Amino acid sequence: MTRTPIFAAFAAFFVFAAGAAFAQDAKRGEYIFAASGCAGCHTDTANKGQLLAGGRALKTPFGNFYGPNITAHPDAGIGKWSDADFITALRQGRRPDGAHYFPVFPYTSFTKMTDADMRDLKAYIFSLPVSAQASKPHDIGFPFNQRFLQFGWKLLYFKAGEFKPDPAKSAEVNRGAYLTQAMGHCAECHTPRNQLGGLRTDMMYAGDLNHAGQGTKVPNITPHPTTGIGSWTPGVYDDLLSMGMTQDGDSVGGDMGEVVANSTSKLTQPDRAAMIAYLRQLPPIDHRVRGGN
Amino acid sequence: MRSKLRLAAIALGLTFAATGAFAQAPEIAKRQADMKAIGGAVGQIAPVIRNERPWDGAAVAQQARTVATSLTDAKAQFPAGSTADNSRALPAIWEKKAEFDGAMDRAIGVATNLAQLASANNEAGFRAAFPQLGQACGACHTPFRRP
Repeated sequence: MTRTPIFAAFAAFFVFAAGAAFAQDAKRGEYIFAASGCAGCHTDTANKGQLLAGGRALKTPFGNFYGPNITAHPDAGIGKWSDADFITALRQGRRPDGAHYFPVFPYTSFTKMTDADMRDLKAYIFSLPVSAQASKPHDIGFPFNQRFLQFGWKLLYFKAGEFKPDPAKSAEVNRGAYLTQAMGHCAECHTPRNQLGGLRTDMMYAGDLNHAGQGTKVPNITPHPTTGIGSWTPGVYDDLLSMGMTQDGDSVGGDMGEVVANSTSKLTQPDRAAMIAYLRQLPPIDHRVRGGN
Repeated sequence: MRSKLRLAAIALGLTFAATGAFAQAPEIAKRQADMKAIGGAVGQIAPVIRNERPWDGAAVAQQARTVATSLTDAKAQFPAGSTADNSRALPAIWEKKAEFDGAMDRAIGVATNLAQLASANNEAGFRAAFPQLGQACGACHTPFRRP
C-alpha cells in the first residue's frame, strides 16, 4: 500500500526527467535546424505553405524536384522514422527502405554532422506541428529518375563520414568549417558542378556561372582579391550574414536572402565569427562570376 | 524609283513606330536610380556602424532620409507590367501587390525612424535599429527581385 505512492513518485520523476531531456534536445535542435537551413527547401514559402510540409519546386538541369513533407506526420511525413533512420538519411543519403536520395537533398554536406546534432535536429523537427499534405512526386526525366543509378553517383562524388577537425587549424576555424560544410551546406550552391552534378572539388566556393542550369550566378566567396571577396573586412562579412547587406549597400535577395533570413542571421555572434574566420582562410580562387565585388 | 522611296519611307516609319512601342517604361529607369541612391546611402552608413568611420549624426540622418525618400518614390514606380530585360523586378510584385506595398511601407518606416534617431544624435538607438533596415531590404528583395 505504501509502496504504490513511492513507485508513482518515481515513475513521475522519470517521466518528468525524460520530458526535460527531450525538451533540451529539441531546443538545441532548433538552432541546428536554423544553421542547416532545412526550412528553405522543405517549405513552400512563396505559397505560404506550412513549415516543413514540402511542395517547394527546385529546378535543376535534371528536372524539377519538390521538397518532400518532413513533418512528423506518420504517413505523409517522417513520423515513423527512428533516430537510426534519420541518421542514415543524413549520413548515407538513404531512405529507411534503402533507396538512394537524389543529391538535390544535400546529404553530401549533412553527412559531416555529428550523431548528436542529427538526433537533436530530429527531436526539434518532431516537436513541430505535423502536416498530412502528401509529398509531390519529382518531375524528372529518364534516366535521371532511376534511383538505383544514384548508387553510381555516390561512388563517384560522395564520401560518407562525420566532419574531422583539422588539428593544424584553430578551434574557431574548425567550428566555422563545421558550420559552413556540415550545416550551412554553402558549397552546394557556391561551387560549380560538372555535367553529372558532382561538385568540382578544384573550385570549392569559387562561384557558379549557371546555378542549377537556371542561368543564375552565384558569387565566388573565396578570398580572392578581385574575383572573390578578399577585399571584405570581417565586418562586411558579418553585415552580409547577419542582415544580408553587401559592401556596396545593396541587400541580397533570392536564395541568399532566404539563407540570411532563415539561417545565418539566427547564428550566435561567435558562430558567425567562426564561419567568417573559416571563409577568410580558404584558398583564393581566381574565378570571375560577377564584375568583381 | 518613286515606289522604292515610298517603301523606304514606310519602312522607316515602321521602325520608328516599333521603337516607340517597345521603349521601356520610364518608371524602370526611375526606380533603378532610386535603388542606386539607396545603395549609395546605405553604403555610407554601414562603415559607420562597423566602426570604420566616425559617427556624424547630421550626415547619417541625411543618408537615412535619402533612403526613406528614395524608397517612397520607388514604391510609386511599379505600374503593372513595367518589366524589361534589364529589370530584375519579378512578376510576383504585381501578383502580390498588397504584399509588395506592405514590404515597401515597412522599409520606409524603418528608414524614417532611423533618420529621426540620427537627427536626435541618438547613436546607440540608431545602431540598435540599423539591422532592421537590412532585414527590411531583404524582405522585399527575396520574394520580389530576380537574383
